[in-house]
Amino acid sequence: MLTHKNHSPVQEFLAACKDIAPLALGVAIYGLAFGLLASQAGMDTLQVGTMGTVVFAGASQILAVERLVAGAGALAAVVAAIALNLRLLLVTASIREVFKGRPLWQLLLGAHMSTDENWALMLATRAKGGNAGYWYLVGGGVCLFVTWLVSTILGVSFAQAIPEPRALGMDFAFTAAFIAIARSLWRDRSDLLPWLVAISIVTAIMLNNWLDSSWALLLGGCSGALVAALIPDD
Amino acid sequence: MTDIWIVITLLAIATFSIRLGGVLLGQKLPVTGPWARGLNALPGCLIIALVSVLVLSGGPHEWIAGAVALVVTLVTRNLPLTMTAGILCIFLLRQW
Repeated sequence: MLTHKNHSPVQEFLAACKDIAPLALGVAIYGLAFGLLASQAGMDTLQVGTMGTVVFAGASQILAVERLVAGAGALAAVVAAIALNLRLLLVTASIREVFKGRPLWQLLLGAHMSTDENWALMLATRAKGGNAGYWYLVGGGVCLFVTWLVSTILGVSFAQAIPEPRALGMDFAFTAAFIAIARSLWRDRSDLLPWLVAISIVTAIMLNNWLDSSWALLLGGCSGALVAALIPDD
Repeated sequence: MTDIWIVITLLAIATFSIRLGGVLLGQKLPVTGPWARGLNALPGCLIIALVSVLVLSGGPHEWIAGAVALVVTLVTRNLPLTMTAGILCIFLLRQW
């Protein structure tokens, strides 16, 4: 699966920019929506631009600012957003071969450019036999980074003119995208049990309201991986 | 509002630490055995858990649109097409 052909970093970077376009469109819609929310929170373009640059984790930014608008206080907002971002530890840990032997600056850059969307896209491209390594990850990440900054700043600047993503059905864009990506990540029947465990844990937690969905996601994903770890290779 | 700058600063530090922590942790863990099997299975399990969270957070509309998206991706294996079908489906369902 890991193909190290003579594809140059530039080629990988550009391939990622092309492949990520539909996901970037979804990110742009959310960026506009975040801008709208940010204007309700009284944020200016400097704050929105700074937050996008240094945090660069859209869902957690939306959650944190939504909590602030709801009057939850800075600390509660940060804790909720951090809980949502804990999955990023698993995201970057799970693609360790991408970072193997890289110089420090590339580790720092790759870490900051890792998001759900370009991580999942890289894995899906690989699963289909495509050449997708470090520069594919970073290429997708940079495209999303630029998209996120531009759309959030546009959103906060022109807040009155922005429709809700929900009204267009665009809130479903990422759900549909991750369904397609999950299908690409299916390897063989050995995935069946871990996946069923992951789905069951999430379902049990969410239907019973035991924990917040951030925790359901983490526990479900880790439980599935744990089951896979415990089943020995044949 | 100073609250916003506090949130930006703390969330930026925490999020970058989490991301870099994963990178460094991944390099430290063994390359064979249970740890490797678990890490190799992790992406698929995380994505399917994420899909479960997203679909369950919605109602019957989201469940139907999720099923439609699943069928489209099983038949076509095409990302933009699956996204378009899912968005179109949820949009139409919500018109009723």
